[in-house]
Amino acid sequence: MKLSRARLLQFLSENGFIVIFLLWCLFLALATENFLTLPNLMTVLRQASIVGIVAIGEALIVLLGAGMDVSLAAILGLAGVLVASALTALGLPAALAILIGLAAGGAVGLTNGILVTRMRINGIVVTLGMMYALEGVALVYTGGQTIFGPSLAALEPLARGYLGPVPVPVIVLFLFYAAAYYFLNSTVWGAHIYAVGNNERASWLSGIPVDRLRLSGYVAAGILAGFGGAMQAGRLGSATAAMGSEFLFPILTAVILAGFSLSGGRGKIEHVLIAAVFLTTINNGLILLGVPLNIQKIIAGAILVLALSLDRLRARSRP
Amino acid sequence: MSAKLEFHGISRAFPGVQALDRVSFDLQAGEVHALVGENGAGKSTLIRILAGADQATSGSMTLEGRPFQPKSPREALQQGIATIYQEKNWLPLRNALFNLWLGREPAGRGARLKFKEMREQSRKLLASLQAGNLPLDLPAERLSAGRRQILEIARALARESSLLVMDEPTSALNPPEQEALFAIVDNLRRQGLTILYVSHRLEEIFRLAGRVTVLRDGRHVATAAIGDTDRDALIRAMIGRDWSGTFPPRRSELGEVLLEVEGLSSPGAFQDVSFTLRQGEVLGVTGLSGSGKEELGLALFGAWPVRAGRVSVNGRPLKLSPGEAIRRGLGYLPADRKTEGIIPELSVRRNIALPVLKRLAGSFGRLSRSREEQLARGWVERLKIKTPGLGELCSNLSGGNQQKVALAKGLAAEARVLILAEPTQEVDVAVKFEIYRLIAELSGQGVGIILVSGELNEMVGLCHSVLVLREGRAAAFLDGRTADRETILRYALGQTAPPPK
Repeated sequence: MKLSRARLLQFLSENGFIVIFLLWCLFLALATENFLTLPNLMTVLRQASIVGIVAIGEALIVLLGAGMDVSLAAILGLAGVLVASALTALGLPAALAILIGLAAGGAVGLTNGILVTRMRINGIVVTLGMMYALEGVALVYTGGQTIFGPSLAALEPLARGYLGPVPVPVIVLFLFYAAAYYFLNSTVWGAHIYAVGNNERASWLSGIPVDRLRLSGYVAAGILAGFGGAMQAGRLGSATAAMGSEFLFPILTAVILAGFSLSGGRGKIEHVLIAAVFLTTINNGLILLGVPLNIQKIIAGAILVLALSLDRLRARSRP
Repeated sequence: MSAKLEFHGISRAFPGVQALDRVSFDLQAGEVHALVGENGAGKSTLIRILAGADQATSGSMTLEGRPFQPKSPREALQQGIATIYQEKNWLPLRNALFNLWLGREPAGRGARLKFKEMREQSRKLLASLQAGNLPLDLPAERLSAGRRQILEIARALARESSLLVMDEPTSALNPPEQEALFAIVDNLRRQGLTILYVSHRLEEIFRLAGRVTVLRDGRHVATAAIGDTDRDALIRAMIGRDWSGTFPPRRSELGEVLLEVEGLSSPGAFQDVSFTLRQGEVLGVTGLSGSGKEELGLALFGAWPVRAGRVSVNGRPLKLSPGEAIRRGLGYLPADRKTEGIIPELSVRRNIALPVLKRLAGSFGRLSRSREEQLARGWVERLKIKTPGLGELCSNLSGGNQQKVALAKGLAAEARVLILAEPTQEVDVAVKFEIYRLIAELSGQGVGIILVSGELNEMVGLCHSVLVLREGRAAAFLDGRTADRETILRYALGQTAPPPK
């Protein structure tokens, strides 16, 4: 009896937010007509796709024990602007424009990584500075104007296309998570990321190139954010300097909700996907329920606190 | 025999401290070579230089006759030198496989991990260490200290190392685990590995080593074959003067009851523990690791959750919280002094004075620097803390000296009931006996002392009574003046009264 209670606590502490998520879905399925329909579920997944993809990068940074990267949303914004202007102003083909977005994201990630590993500046400080700087760069670049034009339609298959009943962004989302799952769980790179997050010194003493690994984490996170920027530009059909800012909190929330330890080394990537979808269902469900916008925020906050508090059960059950 | 590794005049200077000063000696291939010395003698620095984790300021090393100058741990590992550090050097949340193969994970194309190979090789390695039953899928934090130690040895062997450095490998192990480790070390030596074995425990050295090197204050003092030396000669070499270690006499009369503990229970840690502590009494609490002794010490201080039972001080019930415990005259010295005992970013002076700042302060709580200094200077001299000055940050002191600061801090509080958790763990021989003398002195002043320790010598040498815990329950209550180590150990292991399963 005691053991099963301990097991239950253990399970809840690791998967508590999933339980709340399922309860919330069950409630929505009963309370609304439209929640449990294929088109609505596909909408939810499509809306979760960009946050979900960029959150993979955030998860890498958090796993590495580098604190967190608050510049990813700003990278997304800058990349979106660059992709959009590559299409409209330069008239480049979509693939090349996206490549520019990825390169820009990777370059910013590389800069973050160099500042953290070579100059030994705290990761949160570096990325906080980077966030402001990038927003400034994007504003200067766009002159505060919205970039749009018919050539942005080239991104449409990626952002709004369908493969049968399944939106392309959803397929992309699952492909990215499959890859992330593989890399983190089945390769030396992933094993070393968890190792560094668990015990940086032990890893260094075991010959693991800790700094190079951190650097690779920042670069990967930057590239993923760049891809998110291209998707968002395609989804909106336009780009502005501020287009990333709405992603700042969802990206961080998804990783924290997924139970990642901010001191590093703990967390499952598949949980980030679930958390990203959970965040979307909160908004989606409240809209379906017809809750007024301002009240929505209060309820969303309450659901998040509830889900997170279940995660902390273990912290309380242990002295 | 030929020299596996030679140190030639190795020096290492840190700001204000000459950690190593022209140290030269060699390790013969296939020997177990013990390295001893007091805290701050330079053992850890030498190990770090050998392992590539630090670099010498001057001097050189040769490995099998070739120059050897590792710039990073990676380089040293590649040349076959593996080090098992004393500090927590494992991945708490990762399973045994990832811990064992850390930094050298077998991989195929595309860096894809070969789990099957990892598993098979792990089994083989662990079997060769007589640890074939070690669970491979549990996170390391759920393994015992002994099994983690075995994992670290297996990690070193997985790299096919030829020179193994072990830094205080038995410090976290209980007696049966220590025996198992000794057997492993013997076995590795027979297989031809060269082992540099660093330990405070002289019994281990006489049991395992072929030769021994003594460092003192960063200098090489002596290297001798183990048969040509003895315990007293080694201690003399370590502390640089004549020395005889005897326990101070025990106070004969005990005063009134200070502390009463009735039926204290904490699920998973200890069950139904009762005892009384009188004025001037030294009560030993001992047991294997995992017996609940550390938790009991913490619980008395209000720092471990208690489900049932009560504690009274001077006949009045004690509310179990650290703040209340301090107000009622209890003091606690944590075992993990480096992390719980000191505040590294504060000066030596402030660390020692911290628990009594209020008493030292003038009117309106104005801090008195001179009184703080007076107090701190007294303790620095008494415990021979090596520091450039009282204003030095604790983080700049060597590990051993940080521990002494923590000890001074615990003692400066002048508690009427003092709970000491492993007070002599990892301290020098000379300081160890200084601590014993202090305990006797405090006991003479009427302080009640609860000595939580795995050192059986301390139980029979210092304590009036000994509480032996086994799996959280009181296995025996012995008179410390008549008990012997064997009896205590038998109770701790459960060999005297096997409990029904």
